[in-house]
Amino acid sequence: MPQSRKPRTLSLNAFLHDTGHHEASWRHADSSVERVGDVTWIQEIAKKAEAAKLDAVFLADSPSFWGGGHRPHNQFEPITLLTALAAVTERIGLIATASTTFYEPYNLARLFASLDNISGGRAGWNIVTTFNEGAAHNFGLTGVPSNEERYGRADEFVNVVDRLWDSWEDDAIVADRASGVFLDTDKVHPIDHVGRYLRVKGPFNAPRSPQGRPVHVQAGSSNEGRAFAARHAEAIFTAHQTLEDAQAFYADIKSRASQLGRNADHVLVLPGISPFIGDTPAEAEELYRHFNSLTVPEYGIRQLETMAGVSLRHLELDEAVPLDVFGAAGDVLNNDRSRKQVVANIVQRDRPTLRELLHRLAGGRGHNVVHGTPTQIADTIQEWFEGGGADGFNVMPPLYPQLLDAFTEKVVPILQDRGLFRTEYEGSTLREHYGLPRPESVYAQREQALA
Amino acid sequence: MSRQLHLNAFLMEAGHHEAAWRLPEADPGASFDLGHYVRLAQLAEAATFDSLFLADGPVAQGTGEFRTPGQLEPLTLLTALAGVTERIGLIATASTTYNDPYNLARKFASVDHVSGGRAGWNIVTSATEQEAANFGLADRPAHSARYERAEEFLQVALKLWDSWSDDHFLGDKAGGRWGDPAELRAIDHVGKHFRVAGPLNVPRPPQGYPLLVQAGASEEGKAFAGTYAEAIFVAHQTLELAQAFYSDIKARAAAAGRNPDHVVVLPGIVPIIGSTEREAIALAQQLDDLRIPAFGLRMLAGVLEVPESQLELDAPLSPAITGRTSREGFDSRANLIIELAVRENLTVRQILGRLGGGRGHNVVVGTPEQIVEVIECWFHHGGADGFNVMGAALPSGLETFIEQVVPILRAKGLFREEYAGTTLREHYGLPKPANQYARVGAAAAG
Repeated sequence: MPQSRKPRTLSLNAFLHDTGHHEASWRHADSSVERVGDVTWIQEIAKKAEAAKLDAVFLADSPSFWGGGHRPHNQFEPITLLTALAAVTERIGLIATASTTFYEPYNLARLFASLDNISGGRAGWNIVTTFNEGAAHNFGLTGVPSNEERYGRADEFVNVVDRLWDSWEDDAIVADRASGVFLDTDKVHPIDHVGRYLRVKGPFNAPRSPQGRPVHVQAGSSNEGRAFAARHAEAIFTAHQTLEDAQAFYADIKSRASQLGRNADHVLVLPGISPFIGDTPAEAEELYRHFNSLTVPEYGIRQLETMAGVSLRHLELDEAVPLDVFGAAGDVLNNDRSRKQVVANIVQRDRPTLRELLHRLAGGRGHNVVHGTPTQIADTIQEWFEGGGADGFNVMPPLYPQLLDAFTEKVVPILQDRGLFRTEYEGSTLREHYGLPRPESVYAQREQALA
Repeated sequence: MSRQLHLNAFLMEAGHHEAAWRLPEADPGASFDLGHYVRLAQLAEAATFDSLFLADGPVAQGTGEFRTPGQLEPLTLLTALAGVTERIGLIATASTTYNDPYNLARKFASVDHVSGGRAGWNIVTSATEQEAANFGLADRPAHSARYERAEEFLQVALKLWDSWSDDHFLGDKAGGRWGDPAELRAIDHVGKHFRVAGPLNVPRPPQGYPLLVQAGASEEGKAFAGTYAEAIFVAHQTLELAQAFYSDIKARAAAAGRNPDHVVVLPGIVPIIGSTEREAIALAQQLDDLRIPAFGLRMLAGVLEVPESQLELDAPLSPAITGRTSREGFDSRANLIIELAVRENLTVRQILGRLGGGRGHNVVVGTPEQIVEVIECWFHHGGADGFNVMGAALPSGLETFIEQVVPILRAKGLFREEYAGTTLREHYGLPKPANQYARVGAAAAG
């Protein structure tokens, strides 16, 4: 008898970002700018996301200072912050970004394993290689290592971390009071990794975490990034401006994963979406315009320069951005720097002035910023979900908590009515929310193979 | 107000005694059980302890065969404990040898913010070869090189914490100015071990800096502590040795231009408490009977840096071992063990018994009154400003101490009835440090 398959449903994360994703959100009259450094405020938002049954909250990160005075730039260290969020929530997943370029694998493996343990199996690691100069300068480097070098180290880093997480088999702890034997040392494995970038002996100093391994998340859709994602990622955060680009990306990732022998359903593609929600289309558009009117061009130009790695100082705000300013940025399936490609694509397609381009990017730094009624937003989500562009979304409210509330109170119920999103949590771990299996320890597999 | 004790609860899985997890009432899974630590933290806070403390090393300690080789990662654990407590200080160990200063300064700043000013950092340099092997090194760096790096690491961390002024925040919505760029500065540190541009991406911690704690009583360790440490965890077997250390550290601090009262010396004490002396001795014996000599032997060989084959259970330490005066790893602890063994003419088996409870910390077996007597004596005679309280079994050892010893200390006016402050620095009577980048004019005016 064929197994009845559960209908496919959306995965939705709340991507946390101080007062909101819009760069000028803190200037909005209703913003909570006074509370961005207050952990209880962030805890309140996490609780709201959980009440709406979202899959996870997510924190982006870079180990560097990226502000300049024009928007909030205090960034609590994300793994400790997620631990504080774990304490006030029970089910929602907790995903933090951490860099393979600026961490040691033994330390990072411990942090995530501990978060997974403390949260009862809710941890996810957004694996990034970090290409900003500012971060390099905080770690003794004069510049950012090449793409090849960063991804080479990242590959090795992930393999080391996975082996550390696997190094105690699930049943390694005996804890037999009578004999005094705590661990079955035959089930604890040094990893003895010697590679090009890393040498790590192991074993790990903690048991396998509830999820076996915290969920591997990846963001960064360059050629190197997509190849890396196909090998390692279980969920992918990506930025697309059009359904067409999202479809091309989606099909590419799924086929790459299949070619590597992976189950394509176990690689979730989650584009970003930043929704301005109004009761009427006009109200939503006005909201969008109002936020953009609060931007400071000097800030936006600096952000764009950093994102695209080009100088824009010579451009006039109200003149069309020249087509060649971003050089040969490639396309969605062939590029060295995915966010630069997204921006170049906007310029080619829509020929905006610099001011218009800055406004396009102010809401989500290249992610898809949409405005509309709850039904229109739900329609877009459904269209991408059913049209081969997305398995779900990384939801990026322009203003926290108000526009998260608008999404959870007005859009989520529509998605639920359409049978596209859960009404209750069914599982307790992030893997269960995402429909991902719990991986077995490689060392246990090895033993089975020998037997 | 007369001088009062500082008490820190040193938390360690099912207890500090190496075999505590085998007691019938123990939770053998305590080392990775958040609930266990939550319970201990809340117990210690209800008893108005200054702080709790988590030791750590980025390595599996030993083989794990007879005792857990690790616990939850301490900075995540501290953050979780911050969520279930309100006043107690939260101290974690982190290594300057196997971390990067930007990552670590950021984490401690985050924990200090999340906890409302309760974080403390026990600064260690990581002694073992096994740790080095987890970080790509064939050999661990030498003792002196580790301390040299530690000093520069700390200087970088202090600069990063100071890279935001306390009053950077403008929140000027109309003008579009969130913060004042003049109140944020790059640190541009260039040294022998580190080049770090800064600034940090977290505001200055509520305490200015987390409390700076140090443990490790080697020459380099003492020099470091005298210059930087605000609280010191140390192991002593006798009051005489504690007094010598105490006066040495206070003198070093004074020589460095510091107020010696701002260096709080906290020797470890492992109290094994019974309502009668006999009952206490029986409890100690129960724990001792559960020890597995092979485990202790392995640990002893590790600290002394000799092969196990050189340790004969029923003979004293060989002259080759007792004659060696320095090692690259746990130098001060090895010397403590040798001093103890020679002074009391102990066999290896007897040494293992003495170390089983607290790895060289002072194990005191007796009635509550007898425990108080020791605490008072060390406190009043220049050996301690307080104690690092190490329950042999946890939670029972901490519970007993709180129920039976703390009330006597309070009745004698030696320990607080309630918290007076909210930050860890306030509990320890330490000032909030000034920002090193504070403008001269502002400092003079303020």
